[in-house]
Amino acid sequence: MTRFREPCIYLASVVIALAISCASCPSIAEEQGVSATGITIGGMGALTGPTAFIGTPGRDGMMLAINEINDKGGICGRKLTLQFEHASSPAESLAAVKKLTEQDKVFVVVLASGSTGAAAAADYVRTNGIPTYNLYGSTPIIREPFAKNVFHGAIVPVEVAARDLIAMFYDDGGNPQKFGILAGTYAFPQATLTAVEAYLKEKKADYVVERFDQSARDFTSQLVSLSRQKVDSVLILGSFSEAGFAVKQAREIGMSNVRWVLDGSAVSKAIIPILGNADGLRGYFNVPYFPGQTASMREFEERLKTLIGSMPQGRPNNYDMIAYGSVFVIAQAIQATGCDLSWPKLISAWENLKDAGPTKMGGLDVTFSESYTPTDHQGNYRLGAAIVRNGEWQVYRVLDKP
Amino acid sequence: MLVELGLVLIAGLKFGAIYALAALGLVVVHKATKTVNFAHGAFAMLGAFASFLIVVQWEWPYWTAYLLIPITIGAVAALLEFVILRPLRRADMFTVVIATVFLGIALGEAFRLTYNTELLAVPGMFAGSPFVYWGVIITQETLWVIAGALVTAVGCVIVFRYGKLGRGMRAMAASVRGAQICGYSVDQVYMVAWCLGGALAGLAGVFVAPIAGVSVELSIAVITAGFVAGVLGGFDSLKGAILGGLLLGVIESLAAAYISSAMKNCVSFFLLFFVLMWRPEGLFPEKVARRV
Repeated sequence: MTRFREPCIYLASVVIALAISCASCPSIAEEQGVSATGITIGGMGALTGPTAFIGTPGRDGMMLAINEINDKGGICGRKLTLQFEHASSPAESLAAVKKLTEQDKVFVVVLASGSTGAAAAADYVRTNGIPTYNLYGSTPIIREPFAKNVFHGAIVPVEVAARDLIAMFYDDGGNPQKFGILAGTYAFPQATLTAVEAYLKEKKADYVVERFDQSARDFTSQLVSLSRQKVDSVLILGSFSEAGFAVKQAREIGMSNVRWVLDGSAVSKAIIPILGNADGLRGYFNVPYFPGQTASMREFEERLKTLIGSMPQGRPNNYDMIAYGSVFVIAQAIQATGCDLSWPKLISAWENLKDAGPTKMGGLDVTFSESYTPTDHQGNYRLGAAIVRNGEWQVYRVLDKP
Repeated sequence: MLVELGLVLIAGLKFGAIYALAALGLVVVHKATKTVNFAHGAFAMLGAFASFLIVVQWEWPYWTAYLLIPITIGAVAALLEFVILRPLRRADMFTVVIATVFLGIALGEAFRLTYNTELLAVPGMFAGSPFVYWGVIITQETLWVIAGALVTAVGCVIVFRYGKLGRGMRAMAASVRGAQICGYSVDQVYMVAWCLGGALAGLAGVFVAPIAGVSVELSIAVITAGFVAGVLGGFDSLKGAILGGLLLGVIESLAAAYISSAMKNCVSFFLLFFVLMWRPEGLFPEKVARRV
């Protein structure tokens, strides 16, 4: 009996000692990133480098929304502040998230990087438990396994995007006989390609795949191969610059009567100067309207221009709008805690949000509203099907959850 | 089948002509100064950016880009040689090469910070109907790029071979001490070499802007292709640089079309290693005449 009693006493004393020490230290979750006057939101994304066209709009869009919320008095009597860290490589992304969490002690982390950065930070945020908002990462690595503290906004899962991309070939009487897929060899296009191929196999559709390296500018060989195989519908999975030069060269080698559908990352105003005449190009957009399409989009463009000074070619892009909308979603989640600002309260409030977005808080209607449940942290499943008409992109219908 | 091959070859020649021009600038600087200028790609990117400013922003006639940009980029290159590389003249070769690497990176990042966008598009000089020869479609822009780049490259070879300018650089390449004894100034020849290299890079930028757009990545693409083309042809041979560029463009295109589209980039590096191991002087080295 004594043999068992001694370890039990020892274990009990350790438990009591731990309990006393935990009771005496302040709760990190209650304090982190929150003061009597402010709430700090952390963001990370590339401000220089090849993916700066994602991270820079991420920072600018968030800043615009934060300024607007603060001008109206803030949230829970506190002003929002943004601590944004540059990160372009996976190692930098992980370091940035660690710094924001452990040194800057932000309340919420926003991943405003592409899939690569989000994938690098995935394990850390899952383990650490900090409320995390994945703005642009479509990679399954950040989505699976499910984590209670990680939320996904406007960018839909690749399986949803894949079905919507194929659906656009059938719009307006389209009748594709053979699909050609021109896919980049890097992470994001490859993730979409896997989902597209799975869907096309399920549909028993005839298709052929050609690949290209990141930042490729010569697609003649791939296009010649697609032409030889008599494809009538081509899906491009890559950036707008890659898609722009691919379509341009397709015309140069006489590939006419082909329907082109572009991945969301290629749907940008900046593709139009590459092609001159881009009419008929289709692709999905992650927000319900294209810049310039509605009064609120025009107003958004004006406000962003005032914030950043001048508008670079190709902006505002969907990353600007998504980042803007995301801050309103965070603000609404904070408000829904009843100003009891701790991580568990915020997570609980966030996963019960319904139709959250800028319009509910006096912001501009530039994004799809987002709804969450405790078992589904994907806030949005909708996409805008867009087409170029008269030299301008416009969303012609909303693609609902397939 | 032949039409397809024709299309692939034309595309290869188009990019090959640009590679040739890029390689030529590298070789000119190397021939005169024995330095591989890794900032060369950044000069080409600046040339492409300047063509965006002239053609798109300021809407000046296209020919002004071809006229002004080589002069401007040549002057910028000469200035950088004066400010950065001249003080390093006595340093070892490794230091000088590292300086050019970081000069290139600095120029690229300076561009990115001032113009933060993924890509700037520049329209082609010609937009008329394409020519069709035996079923092979050739656009006016493609023809212009191939012909323009090659005529410039050949013109440069003639100037270098027969002009006074070229004589000084060749003398310096043969022996710095000997050239000095013959009355050539090292400072002057080095500056002229950088100026000429910069002008060629600027011109390559103007040619490449409509077919690849303007981005920081352009500088890496140009320096990589130019370097491989230079090694293929022989790093001291101007003629070799032109042939190496064309060969690289055509082989890349053929490999992508008939082996695998994913092979396009890696084939150039296979070629590089193969030539370095099998024939390090290049495929078309300059003949060296020795008088005894």
